[in-house]
Amino acid sequence: MSASLASECNEVKERYDSCFLKWYSEKFLRGTATSDECDPLFKQYEKCISKALKERGIDSMLKEAREDNRENDAEHMRPKR
Amino acid sequence: MVKFYSSSDTYTYPFTAVTLAYFLRYPNPYSTHVLSTDTIARHYDPTTQRLTTIRLHLKRSKLPSAVLKLIPRSLIGASAGGDTQAYILEKSVVDVKEGWMDTESRNLEWTGVLSVVERQVFRRPGCTYGDDIRQTEDEDEGLWKGMEGAARRHGFIAQSSENTAADKITNNGETTEVASSVTLHSHIGEKWKKRSAASSTAPTEEKVGFFKSLGTASLQRSIEIIGLKRARRSQPNAKEGMKVVLERMREGGLVGVLEGMRRDREMILGGHAHAFKKGNTSGEEE
Repeated sequence: MSASLASECNEVKERYDSCFLKWYSEKFLRGTATSDECDPLFKQYEKCISKALKERGIDSMLKEAREDNRENDAEHMRPKR
Repeated sequence: MVKFYSSSDTYTYPFTAVTLAYFLRYPNPYSTHVLSTDTIARHYDPTTQRLTTIRLHLKRSKLPSAVLKLIPRSLIGASAGGDTQAYILEKSVVDVKEGWMDTESRNLEWTGVLSVVERQVFRRPGCTYGDDIRQTEDEDEGLWKGMEGAARRHGFIAQSSENTAADKITNNGETTEVASSVTLHSHIGEKWKKRSAASSTAPTEEKVGFFKSLGTASLQRSIEIIGLKRARRSQPNAKEGMKVVLERMREGGLVGVLEGMRRDREMILGGHAHAFKKGNTSGEEE
């Protein structure tokens, strides 16, 4: 698995990634997913990584980029029908 | 917005396998400059059955000396040798029912100078997703149309589509189309102008002054040319990386991919970073 930006998040990231890969290949790709079963694990991972991003000052940069992205999505990624 | 690079290609693997490989593409032997990958947001919509993912990659890169000559190192946070780290934000949407995956990656830093937006659309043959987007987005839509015509003539775009589970990766002739484009948005001074207009806080006069002194138009052109060269050079490595992951998947399934990743990660940590790089000494993107 790929490493996390923050080494303290590696463990929880690995747990989430494993769950996701299983869900993605066994349910999502087969079209049988009804919900994102790994969400509870993601929440734990998110908590760790959010803190790390904040500490590194990346959170504000991200927020800005995602806002730009949203504008861009509205323009270019609208559903075709 | 200027588009500098576009191409279309075909993977000889089923669409579902390609989408999985996309999520698992780092680390691979061609991506030893990718230091980390984190999922920062993920949303599954049960109604549309689409999965949206936002990831953050940290890449080590070496800035071309040409860029270092043009822009003060302090502005881009590079060392004397031009070593720097760059955050890349990647967004992807997968629709397995319709058979497409739309991905976009952009650099997060020095966006005031140049944003490199890389877009890749993976499609199951026969899926028409992205056709309209290309036409409205591209300035040179003729290029896309021409390529698609060629793809059709060569039989890459078939009319049938079959859904295959990801663990069954056999080479039964299933293919996945990929259309890539790199768009460069260079806006020197633009963002600072926007910012100073929006708020009363003083813009970073020093930076604006620097760019003004150089003559924005020519500087912008120079930077665009450098950005284009880098983007073009990074494409083969990105594709080779995906292929390695897909081959591992075919041979050993998910376990095979994860085992390969573990070895690659050890190699990266062990400092044999460029062992596999093919004549690419400057630590390119992807």
